[in-house]
Amino acid sequence: MNGGSAAVGSASAGRGVALSRRALSFALDWMTWGYVAYCVMYLLNYYWYTVHVDWWGTLTLPTWGWPVVILATLELAVGCRSFGRSLGQRAIGAEFQDREGGRITIGRRLTRILLWHISVPLFAIGFWRGEDPWHDRVVGVSLRPISPDPERPGRRALATQWGILALFLGALTLWVGWLIIGINFQVLIRRAPQAGRIWGEMLRPDFRYFTTPDPVFSLRSQSYSILDLAVVTVFMALMATILGAAIAFPLSFFGARNVMGFSPVGWAVYGIVRGFFNVFRSIETIIWGSIFAVWVGYGTTLAGILALTVHTIAALGKLYSEQVEGVSPGPLEAVWAVGGSRVQVVRHAVIPQVLPSFWAFTLYRWDINVRMSTVIALVGGGGIGDMLFYYKNQGDWPKVGAVVIVIVAIVWAMDYISGWLRERIA
Amino acid sequence: MVCLPMANPYLVVEHLTKVYERGQVLALRDLSFTVDKGEFLVVIGLSGSGKSTLLRCINRLIEPTKGKIWLDGGEVTRLSQARMRRVRRKIGMIFQQFNLVDRSTAIANVLTGRLGYLPGWRALLGWFPEEDREKALASLERVGLRDKAYVRVDQLSGGQRQRVGIARALMQEPELLLADEPVSALDPATSHSIMQYLEQMNKEDGVTVIASLHFLSLARRYGTRIIALKDGQLVFDGSPQAIDNVKFKEIYGEDAEEVEVR
Ligand SMILES: Nc1ncnc2c1ncn2[C@@H]1O[C@H](COP(=O)(O)OP(=O)(O)OP(=O)(O)O)[C@@H](O)[C@H]1O
Ligand SMILES: [Mg+2]
Repeated sequence: MNGGSAAVGSASAGRGVALSRRALSFALDWMTWGYVAYCVMYLLNYYWYTVHVDWWGTLTLPTWGWPVVILATLELAVGCRSFGRSLGQRAIGAEFQDREGGRITIGRRLTRILLWHISVPLFAIGFWRGEDPWHDRVVGVSLRPISPDPERPGRRALATQWGILALFLGALTLWVGWLIIGINFQVLIRRAPQAGRIWGEMLRPDFRYFTTPDPVFSLRSQSYSILDLAVVTVFMALMATILGAAIAFPLSFFGARNVMGFSPVGWAVYGIVRGFFNVFRSIETIIWGSIFAVWVGYGTTLAGILALTVHTIAALGKLYSEQVEGVSPGPLEAVWAVGGSRVQVVRHAVIPQVLPSFWAFTLYRWDINVRMSTVIALVGGGGIGDMLFYYKNQGDWPKVGAVVIVIVAIVWAMDYISGWLRERIA
Repeated sequence: MVCLPMANPYLVVEHLTKVYERGQVLALRDLSFTVDKGEFLVVIGLSGSGKSTLLRCINRLIEPTKGKIWLDGGEVTRLSQARMRRVRRKIGMIFQQFNLVDRSTAIANVLTGRLGYLPGWRALLGWFPEEDREKALASLERVGLRDKAYVRVDQLSGGQRQRVGIARALMQEPELLLADEPVSALDPATSHSIMQYLEQMNKEDGVTVIASLHFLSLARRYGTRIIALKDGQLVFDGSPQAIDNVKFKEIYGEDAEEVEVR
């Protein structure tokens, strides 16, 4: 491909990976060993009380303990990296290769570990100069992209060792995880009769207040029937989805690299919009619900709709933007070429390409919003959940059963409708 | 104010240089040439020699690093983005990969050729005036695709797609047509039919054409003049007949064999 055009910089075939990627892979290795160390200490605490871990998992070490742990994990990371058994290197797709293409003996690998201790603390990265650090150059190795040759020496042994390492990490996680969450199966069985009674009552649902308002249940001195709140819930989800999609749609173009261009203003707007999407998306709907419940009134549908809408904007906005960034650039170029403006590029080259997936994402979000709107009442967001939690607190299980059945019916029906629409559009 | 060398050629390219920051590639090195109105200029050169870059510098889809370009007496390299958009309206472009919206109909794609003339709000709503629609049908008629007007582009063959691309360029009523390897994705017979549409635009409508081509035989057959690029440098500028075997090896390298496209 690169035919005969001249490259200004030098680009030899086997080039070492960039410093930033190298640092990233190193950090990954160190973190992996840190994790293993934590797990081991947790186990020591659990079985022999030789290290103190309090009940929520925080380690308490003597003051000298921390440097020991940090240095030990560092040594393990460096050692493993020298011997090519490193998750971090795997993650960036790199491995140590001999600069001349030969095999790397164990002696050279050990020498590299020794030299690393001189090179890194003394010279830090000042000794980097070019592609490889000093300790690599002396030993004659280079961290390079993994060679795709399936026949290269030691490949099979390495694959086996990778498997063992992955298995080890997985087993350790399961073991420690089991101890941390402390599942108690005895309770599950001891309390079964009690739960059975509640189940029995729920299975005889009380539908007396399906259409007639229940005088016992009232919101702001107004009684509602189950159907009343079911309708409210469906429209909460519908409005939140429509509003959210309508706002996310125009915003998403501002959060797309290929539309915003590479001017400083473009970068700034892109950064702000994407940042907004990411931050607002990581705050769950339930949390937005509690915020808006305080703001506009506890138990109001408005609080619920606002919560659902805000999260919908952020979640859909991110999905939309990524879709916009994935369009094929050819049609965009064509619209620029006929003298189109940025708005025209979006309207005539981007939107036709992304519209079907926008629809699919919106319907998918509609499903999520329906399910979320049935429980948003838990934090004061209104809807049918209000009824559910009220009856539950009263211990009125037959009525709880009726509401649960209605919720299941709503979710099922909306799922069916959105599935049907999806099929139509795709 | 603008001092033009010689007697006003249609397009003047002077000391054009392009460096791609990413990858630090010197794609064009100090190119200078002129094109007269009505010429059919063919740009040849190996893959990576800078043909696409050159064509895109002319309508500034790519910003030149150095050098100047005059079009019809005006310096395009000095224009603001807004003014450049007005200039682009008269420069048609067709692409190796067609650059059509696959899931839109042929006529929707052809209509985008008018976007430069459409007021903002109409373009936003996609309301093209009736005469534009008629014009689009006429353009499709001209490339023999009137009956495919309402067919989605992804259901058309490669040759048909490129004809949609030509119809889109026709909509602009261009003075200059840039064709970036218009036939590289097509078979030889289809290639000739596409090239003949370009030839027709050149001869009948007086459109100046600059086309990059891979095959020398196509270049000889359709070009009134050929320039050759090698590593971003101009290594030949002359009539199609002037490329002999020696010149050919110089452009394409010692090991190259000439392949005929019939
Ligand atoms: N966006 C870009 N960023 C960095 N380098 C680029 C970019 N586009 C092209 N290049 C480089 O510039 C040089 C010229 O590319 P160009 O696409 O103009 O060649 P070409 O003659 O059109 O080749 P082809 O026949 O393969 O289309 C090549 O070395 C290419 O790798
Ligand atoms: Mg090209």
